[in-house]
Amino acid sequence: MVGSEVPNLLEEGAAATLVVSQDLDVGVPVSQHAALRQRLDELDEFEPSAEEPSVWTPRSPDLLELNFVGIDPAQDPAEAYVLEDDRLPLLVFGALSLVSRGAELEIGGTRLALPRPAGLLLEKLVTDRTGEKGERDLLVALGVLDTSTTQDLDELETLYRRLRPELRHAVRSNLTILSLLAPRPGMPDPQSRRAEVAALLRRLEAAATEAP
Amino acid sequence: MTAVQERRLRELRSRVLVRAFDHRQRRHARGVWFRLRRVLALAREAYALPRDEAERLIAEGHRPDPVGRELEPPRIVLFVPAERVAEIASARPLAVRLSADLLSAECLALVPFPTGPSTT
Repeated sequence: MVGSEVPNLLEEGAAATLVVSQDLDVGVPVSQHAALRQRLDELDEFEPSAEEPSVWTPRSPDLLELNFVGIDPAQDPAEAYVLEDDRLPLLVFGALSLVSRGAELEIGGTRLALPRPAGLLLEKLVTDRTGEKGERDLLVALGVLDTSTTQDLDELETLYRRLRPELRHAVRSNLTILSLLAPRPGMPDPQSRRAEVAALLRRLEAAATEAP
Repeated sequence: MTAVQERRLRELRSRVLVRAFDHRQRRHARGVWFRLRRVLALAREAYALPRDEAERLIAEGHRPDPVGRELEPPRIVLFVPAERVAEIASARPLAVRLSADLLSAECLALVPFPTGPSTT
């Protein structure tokens, strides 16, 4: 899982109080695509969208839409490509190469693989999106930041240092946008967490000595 | 590749090109918005000040942030300790956000977060 449901599941006891999700993003390592493809028939509560076959829509209004996205660890974070397939073609976003597998949760007999918070936080901050989708993604990043430990932030800094200057700038730029966002219903409140965002901005500025 | 995927790829690549341009131009006019957002992000509180109060603060040794001079018309943007702002009866509190109210203020006093920029 790589999307807005992650901060909910990272909360103590997977309390799910931070974000009201609109869909469920499932990250598929490209090396596992064939294995997933063989099991798609088990998704009997969902059907592929005619418009975008990587999106599976639920038959019941009680379920969220599934959005399969590809992860290629070797990819440049600024690139993207389509993994062609007649059944499940995937958009493979380079920023997701920053995401790695983290803890596992078991809920209702289902095992869920969560990403490591640092990588997901960086993926959200390095991605350049605009409009409502962009704001929601930054607020998801805030939810991840909210649940991050000191060790997660140390790991974030390590990953951040490895990015090239243009991407580091994008991360800091997105933090400034996040700091100035207005609150949205069903999302973490950015106004009450501005101090944490400012502290992270300061830390990343210090991590790579670049003029603002 | 479906039409939707093709469109999303094209949009992403366009944004990457714009971001690369923004990064190359970041030390020039193109980077002003980032620099303005950055000083606001480091501010716990923001106040609109009358010009004479802003000039008094400068005379006391508070240095204007350079980003104010990069805007047109120029603004005075000062980081000031909370105790000093509290002494200015005419200081009008503003939400720290890119609002019309904040952007139209000629003189801004920003109170830094505890680990924020120096106020002098």
